[in-house]
Amino acid sequence: MGVLLDNLGLFLGAITGFLTPLALFHILWSTLLGIVIGALPGLTATMGVALITTLTYKLPPELAILILICVYVGAIYGGSRTAILLNIPGTPANAATTLDGFPLAKQGLAGRAMGVATTGSVLGSVIGIFFLATLAPILGNYALKFQSFEFFWLAIFGIVISGHLTALDDPIKGWIAGFLGLMTAMVGQEGIHAYERFTYGTTELLGGFALIPAMVGAFGFAEVLSVMRNPQAEMADNPQDSVIPKLADITRYWRTIIRSGLIGTIIGIIPGVGEDIGAWVSYAAARRKSKEREKFGKGSVEGLMAAETGNNAVVPGAIIPVLTLAIPGSAPAAVLLAAMFIHGIRPGPMIMVESPQFVYQVVAMVFFATLAILVYGLALTKPLLKVLAIPRTRLLPVVFVLCTIGSYAITNRIFDIWVMIGFGIAGYILRQMKYPMAPLVLGIILGDLLDKNLRRGLVLTDGDLTPFFTRPICLVLWLVTLSSILMSIGPFRNALQRAVRVVWPGTRRDAG
Amino acid sequence: MARERAAPFVCPGISGAWFMCMFKADFLTGLALLLVSAFVLIESWHMPRLEHLKVHPLSVPGIVPAFLAVVLLVFGLVLVGRSIRAGGHRVGFNRDDLRRVLAQPGNQRLLLTAALTIGYAGILIGNTPYWLATGIFIFLFVVAFEWRRGMAVREFRRMGLVAGILAIIITAAVALAFERLFLVTLP
Repeated sequence: MGVLLDNLGLFLGAITGFLTPLALFHILWSTLLGIVIGALPGLTATMGVALITTLTYKLPPELAILILICVYVGAIYGGSRTAILLNIPGTPANAATTLDGFPLAKQGLAGRAMGVATTGSVLGSVIGIFFLATLAPILGNYALKFQSFEFFWLAIFGIVISGHLTALDDPIKGWIAGFLGLMTAMVGQEGIHAYERFTYGTTELLGGFALIPAMVGAFGFAEVLSVMRNPQAEMADNPQDSVIPKLADITRYWRTIIRSGLIGTIIGIIPGVGEDIGAWVSYAAARRKSKEREKFGKGSVEGLMAAETGNNAVVPGAIIPVLTLAIPGSAPAAVLLAAMFIHGIRPGPMIMVESPQFVYQVVAMVFFATLAILVYGLALTKPLLKVLAIPRTRLLPVVFVLCTIGSYAITNRIFDIWVMIGFGIAGYILRQMKYPMAPLVLGIILGDLLDKNLRRGLVLTDGDLTPFFTRPICLVLWLVTLSSILMSIGPFRNALQRAVRVVWPGTRRDAG
Repeated sequence: MARERAAPFVCPGISGAWFMCMFKADFLTGLALLLVSAFVLIESWHMPRLEHLKVHPLSVPGIVPAFLAVVLLVFGLVLVGRSIRAGGHRVGFNRDDLRRVLAQPGNQRLLLTAALTIGYAGILIGNTPYWLATGIFIFLFVVAFEWRRGMAVREFRRMGLVAGILAIIITAAVALAFERLFLVTLP
C-alpha cells in the first residue's frame, strides 16, 4: 500500500511538474504537429518522431521527451483522419481504420466516424496509460533479475516475434529484416575489446551507423520515394455531420473498448511489433466477438472503435519495454529510445532504482498528449482537414530538406547524410519486396545488446550453453521463440493441427 | 521448337506475373544474402583472436557476426530454394521489359524524385552554400512535378512564382532555425 501511495505521489508530482506555461505550450504545438504529420499521407509517426528528435537536441531532456511523446501520440491519432476521408491510412497504424472509417464517410457520416476515432484513441491511450503506470514499475523491478543469458534471448525473442507478426504472410522476410538489422549493428567498435569491426579504416564508422540518420532514411527518405511513386489520392467530401463523440458509443461498446485497449497494450509490450498490428489484432478480435459481425467492413462503428482503441493503446504499451528493458515495443518507440540516449537518459532495468520519477514523468507526458488529442479532436477537426489539401509536390521537398539537415545536425557530419540516403534506398527496396521495417530497426537497436550478452554469457559459463536454456526466463523465451519459428513451417503446423484434432476431435480444421 | 519466352520481370499489379516477379526478387535477394553471409563469415574468421591479451576464446570479436552470418546463410538458402521451386530463377528480363518499366508513370516519378533528392543531399550539400542548394532543390522539385506538357504561359509563371516563394521561405526558415536556434554549423 505504501509503495502504491509513493508511486501515486510520484505521478501527481510529475503531473504538476508539467503544469507550467512552457510545458503546456510544448504539449499543444507538438501534439498538433503530430496530428498533422499523422494526417498527411506519407508522413508516418516514426518519421515524425525521428525528424522532431533532430529539432530537440538543445532542449532539456524532460521537455525533449515530452515533445516526442506528444508527436508520437498525435501522429497515431492523426492518421485516422486520412483513413476515414481518403481511404488511405495516414500512418500504417491506421490501416484497419480504413475498413469501416471510409464506408462511414461514404454514408455521409465522416464526422461521426472521426468522433468515434477520437473516443477510441483517447480511451485506448487511457487504458495503455493505466498499464504503463502499473506494469512499468513491476517489470522494472523484475528486470533487475535479468542477466546476460536473459538479455541474449530477449534480443532473439524480439527479432523472431517482431519478424513473425509484422510479416504474417511470409515470416522469413520479417526474420531476414531483423537479422540484417542485427548485422548492421555489428559495424563499428565492439563493446568488449574495442575491436573495430567492418570499418576498413573509416573513422566515421567507428561508432557504427548513427541510429537517427538510419531511421530518418528508412522511414523518411524511403517514404518520400514511395509516396512520389504512387498516384495522388483524392479526398472525399468534407464532413457535414457533428464530430462530437457520442456517449452511447462508449456505453454500447465498452467491452470492445476494454478488450481492444488490453490487446493494444500487450501488443505494444512485445518488442518491435507496433501500432499497426495492435489495430489489426483488436479489429479481428472485435469482429470475432461482435453481435453485428455482418456490419464489419461496411461501416461498423464497433470495428472503427476497436481499430482506433487498439492502435493508440499500443503507444503506452510500447513505452513499457523502452523504460524497463531499453527495448522498443514499436518503431516510433525505437526512435524515442534513441532520443533518450541522446539526451543522457539511461532507460533499462536500473531505471526504477536510479530515477523512478522519470517513469512517472513519462506516464504524465502520455497523459497530457492524450488530453491534447481530445481537445484537438473536439475543437479543431474540420480546420485540421485543410492540411490534407497541401499538394505532395510542395510538401515532400520540405520533408526531404528536414531529413537531410536533421541527419547532419546531430554530429555535423556529411557522412550521416549518406547514411540517411543509403538506408532510405535500402529501406525502399526492402519494402517493395515486402520486408517489414520494424524488425530491421529493432535489430539495429538490439545488435549491441545481443553481441555483448552472448559473449559475456559464454565467458561466464566457460562455453557451457546449459544456462541459456535452463534458467526459467530463458526457458520461456526460447520456447516461445522456437514455437513461433516452428508454427510458420507448413508441415509442422499441419502435423500439430492433426495432433490437436486427434486429442480434441471437435476442433475445427482451421483452428490454430 | 521455338524457345518459350520467359515471363516479364515487370510488376503489372496484383496478378500471376506479380507473384513471378516476387519469386524472381526473392531469388536475387537469396543470392545476395548468400554472398553477404559468406563475406561476413570469412571476415569474422579473420578477425583477431586476441590470444596475446589472453581473452576468453568465446569472447572474440568475430563470434557474433559469424553466428548472425550463419543464420542469414540459412535464410538465403531457404529463399533461393523456394524461389527455384516456384520457377523464379527462370524469369527473364530483357530490354523491352526495361523499357516498359521505365514507361510507367509511377517509376518515372520515382526516378525523378531519386535523382533530385540524391543530387541535392549527395552532391549539392557540402559543395554549395546550404541556402543556395536548398533553394535550388525546392524550386526544381516543385517545377519538375507540377509542370505539364502544354501548360499555358500564365499557369507556368504562377507555378514558377509559387515554387520560388516556397524555396525562399523554407530555405530561410530551415537555415535560420538550425543555425540560430539549434546552433548547427550548416554544411
